[in-house]
Amino acid sequence: MVRLKIAAMELTLAHHPITEIQFGSQARLNGTVLVVDPEELRRVVLEDESILSTDFEIVRPGESCRAGPVFDIIEPRAKAPGSSPDFPGILGPPTTAGSGTTHVLDGAAVSVLAERGPGESRGATGRFLEMSGVAAEATEYSSLQHLVVIFHTRAGLPIQTIEKAYRKAGLKVAVHVASAALNQVPASIHRFEPVGPMEEGRAGLPRVAYIGQIFSRQRKPAVDEPILYRANTDGMLPVLLHPDEWLDGAIVPSLHSWIGGTETYYYQNHPVIMELYRRHHARELNFVGTVATIAGSDNFDRERNCRTAANLVRWALKAHSAVLTKYGGGLPHADLAETARLLEGMGIKTAVMVSDTSRDRRVESALLFNFPEVNAIVYNGGNGTEWEVPRVERIIAATPDMRQLLAGPLVAEASNIIGVTNQQGASRLRAIVY
Amino acid sequence: MRVVHYLNQFFGGIGAEEHAGTPFEVRAGAVGPGKLLEPLLSDGAQVVMTVVCGDNYAVEHQQELTAAVVKKVREIDANLFVAGPCFDAGRYGMAAGALCSAVQLQLGIPAITAMSEENPGVNLYRDALYIVDSGVSVAKMRDVLLKMANLGKKLVGNETVGLPHEEGYWRRGLLRDQLADKKAGTRLVDMLLAKVNGEPFESEMLPTAFEPIPMPAAVKDLSKAKVMLITDGGLVPKGNPDRIEGTAATRWGSYSIEGRSDLQGEEYEVSHGGYDTRFVQEDPDRLVPLDAMREMEKRGIIGKLHNEFISTCGRSNPLSNTRRLGREMAEKIKQEGVDAVILTST
Repeated sequence: MVRLKIAAMELTLAHHPITEIQFGSQARLNGTVLVVDPEELRRVVLEDESILSTDFEIVRPGESCRAGPVFDIIEPRAKAPGSSPDFPGILGPPTTAGSGTTHVLDGAAVSVLAERGPGESRGATGRFLEMSGVAAEATEYSSLQHLVVIFHTRAGLPIQTIEKAYRKAGLKVAVHVASAALNQVPASIHRFEPVGPMEEGRAGLPRVAYIGQIFSRQRKPAVDEPILYRANTDGMLPVLLHPDEWLDGAIVPSLHSWIGGTETYYYQNHPVIMELYRRHHARELNFVGTVATIAGSDNFDRERNCRTAANLVRWALKAHSAVLTKYGGGLPHADLAETARLLEGMGIKTAVMVSDTSRDRRVESALLFNFPEVNAIVYNGGNGTEWEVPRVERIIAATPDMRQLLAGPLVAEASNIIGVTNQQGASRLRAIVY
Repeated sequence: MRVVHYLNQFFGGIGAEEHAGTPFEVRAGAVGPGKLLEPLLSDGAQVVMTVVCGDNYAVEHQQELTAAVVKKVREIDANLFVAGPCFDAGRYGMAAGALCSAVQLQLGIPAITAMSEENPGVNLYRDALYIVDSGVSVAKMRDVLLKMANLGKKLVGNETVGLPHEEGYWRRGLLRDQLADKKAGTRLVDMLLAKVNGEPFESEMLPTAFEPIPMPAAVKDLSKAKVMLITDGGLVPKGNPDRIEGTAATRWGSYSIEGRSDLQGEEYEVSHGGYDTRFVQEDPDRLVPLDAMREMEKRGIIGKLHNEFISTCGRSNPLSNTRRLGREMAEKIKQEGVDAVILTST
């Protein structure tokens, strides 16, 4: 019998630390200085006819600067030739993400602003980037070198068209900027050890899976809303993904998640997946794989999705334990907890991460589920924190109105400062019971 | 620091149970445990006044006692109110809890008391107050007063109060935010591995056990019943006349459906930021099924549909708020003789 050797999925990250971004007439990477050419980037962006013009700004850590509302933050990364495509499905064919080499501009970010705020109920300013002061200390984003991008879209377009243009153009800018690293020698190379249910030599280590919600159907996605390999999750059942697919562009936030604590940057640097990998390398556990799922819009959806996700973890990944994260607002807590409950019933131990729902700061309002077996809970805070942020020297926003709103001094809730209440595992703000 | 101290008749030196009916009296300076408390508070703290009252009197005349004590504390310009420690004395604990929470609420100065776990005052007032764990042994008086003094100083100085096990108070069931050293993703994996390896782990949130709500008696004869529709999906007449908030609504409204058999999208809007409202906007009957109810009314399945529906927005609405909303709605529908309610949610 002929045994076919199937190439293992193994992602290599080629790291290029960035300490400064500059504008210049020729895009390049000079050591740790990234030079971007706004004219060249404009040509790339204006391929989309929804976008009329584009502004670029460079923002540094510690600067007295505020920018918003932020639509998304993306780490500049570009795939080496012969690897899987950049953001497959969106910028390339929908082939499997996560193979070959990805060049990463560490410490840099492409931050896309929206032209309008999300509306009163989410705070008129939306989430903004705060680069200095106390509030900035609660988010990693304030420590990055940002290329802030403002797309000015054609008047009268439907909101989905505008947001879709932001999404695609933002990713294109990030990839384009990172392509300057393709012919450079990286400062360091990181190869992930193979993971998967069949990996050998890890007997005795706890087999751990990750189940992550990537959308909540509290809102029906737009017909062509890109989420998973550009699919909008209509009709989607939970699906097995290799962890590298999450890190390497298979998933982007939904068009509306700029109001809910999920950014492309933390798919690329997924805090839960990176932590599982770290422990996998340290041989503390056996990371057997991941399941991407969605929160259902009703009990019928929920039942089907939760059972399918639990079954994949049990039968396909043969996991002993699982960590779970949610997406979006209140309703996804139900899907998260039900999946954990089903897993516990199968003898698979779980820990879950939830967002803060307790507006009255009482424990009784904190959880939207009550299963005794779902007893290991990481609780992100947020509802009890606000900062008085001062007037800053530099405001970056698409319109004069928005610049005025953001000028400060103003009172900002934790969830208004991008990164502070992130739901992908990046948040350090937690609630304490007293 | 100026302190007012409350004691029952026993610790106030009047006598035991046979003196439990003694009305309250006000004494200048510290009495009994207060004399021990003063030096523990240090920094020249003074117990400027002590109120002593019999346990039975305190429970039977709670309103009168509370009003008098609040007035005295205000007049003497105290900045800390201390009651007890009460150990496992139930009536003492109830009075101490009531007085502390009234002083704190009405005067805005911190108040502190101490009780044992069995004391009914703990469950009644733990969310409103810092109640130090006194245990049941009066022999531990000094230790308990020391904890009360430390906590009292922090409260007066507006310092951060530590966790229940650090400061020795009963967990209040409240939340506050704090920046953790580790990211949530790392904490999540840490917690899972501890659980898997059978090591102790501390969940960051505790489940809440709710009192079971007994099933109400069935409607005797639906064909004679007056039925009402209530929704938390945020349907309101155009213009949102009651200004019902789209998140954590503090208000509700009741809207006439007299003479109508079908709700028209152009007459309504949806104040709710938590679900995709387009389908309800298109046809409000999808949320408030007036058309179906009228059909049932016509066929005699229900007696009568009440001529108003009630609406609020349930999104991210904390229990402390929804309990009140529910009580207010229940009062109204009881008054209007409604026999049964259909609740529609999203």
